[in-house]
Amino acid sequence: MMTDALRARRLTRRGLTITILGLLGLAAVYLLALRYTPTERFQGLPQKIFYIHVPAAWSALLAFSLVGIASILYLWLRDPRLDRFADSTAAVGLVFSLVMLTTGPLWGKPVWGTWWTWDARLTFTLILFFLFLGYRALRGALQDPGERARFSAVLGIFGLVLVPFVHVTVYLFRTLHPQPIVLKPSEPSLPWVMLRTLLLSAGCFTVLLIGFVTTRYGLATQASVQGGEDAG
Amino acid sequence: MPVDPNANAGYLLAAYVVTAVILAGYAVMLWRRAKKRGD
Repeated sequence: MMTDALRARRLTRRGLTITILGLLGLAAVYLLALRYTPTERFQGLPQKIFYIHVPAAWSALLAFSLVGIASILYLWLRDPRLDRFADSTAAVGLVFSLVMLTTGPLWGKPVWGTWWTWDARLTFTLILFFLFLGYRALRGALQDPGERARFSAVLGIFGLVLVPFVHVTVYLFRTLHPQPIVLKPSEPSLPWVMLRTLLLSAGCFTVLLIGFVTTRYGLATQASVQGGEDAG
Repeated sequence: MPVDPNANAGYLLAAYVVTAVILAGYAVMLWRRAKKRGD
C-alpha cells in the first residue's frame, strides 16, 4: 500500500517536471514564431496563430483518441488503471480543445471576416468538445466506480469514432476551414522555415500533453490509494 | 492581395496570451492539487 502511494507521488512529481519542460518549450516556440519565422504575405501576423492552433488541435485529437483506445481496453480487461488513464486524458484533451476553440476564432475573424461559422469541421469539433464535457459530467454524476467506468468507456469509444471523422470533414463537405497542409497523403505544402516552427510547437504541445496526463494520472492514483474519489 | 504586415496584430497577441494563460493556468492548478495531496 505504501509502495503504491510512493509510486503515485513520484509519478505526479515526474508529470509536473515534464509539464515545466513543456511550458519552457512553449516559451521558445513563442520566440521562434514571433521573432524568427517570416510573416505570411496574404494573411499577415494572424497567420502565426497557426503555430499554436494546429498543435493544440492535434494534441486534443490525440488525447481523445487515447481516451477511446483506453476505453476499449478497459471494457476488455476491466483494469481500473485504464479507466483512470482515460479520465485523466479526457480532462487534458478538453484543455487543448479550449485552446483550439479560442485561437481558431481569433484567427478566423481577421482572415475569414467572422469569428465562427457553422460548417462541418467547426461544428463537429464543437460536438466533440461537448461530448467530452459530457464524459466528465457523467463521471461526476455516477457514484458506483464500476458503473462510472463502464458508461464513460462507451462515451469515450464514441469520441474515438468521431476523431477521424473530424479530420476528414474538410474533404467530405464544403467548408471555410482550410484542408490539412501537413497531415495529408502528399508532402507538406509549407516552407521549411514555417514547418520547423510548427513541428517544434507540436513537439512542445506533446510534451505538455504527456506532462499533464502523467500528473493527473498520478493524482488520480494517489486519490485511489488514499481511498478518495476525486482524481484531482 | 498582400496585406500590411503589421495589421491585426491584436488577434495574434490575444491568441498567444490566451494560450499561455490556459496552459500555464492548468499547470498551476495541477501543481496546487499535488501540493494539497502532500507532494
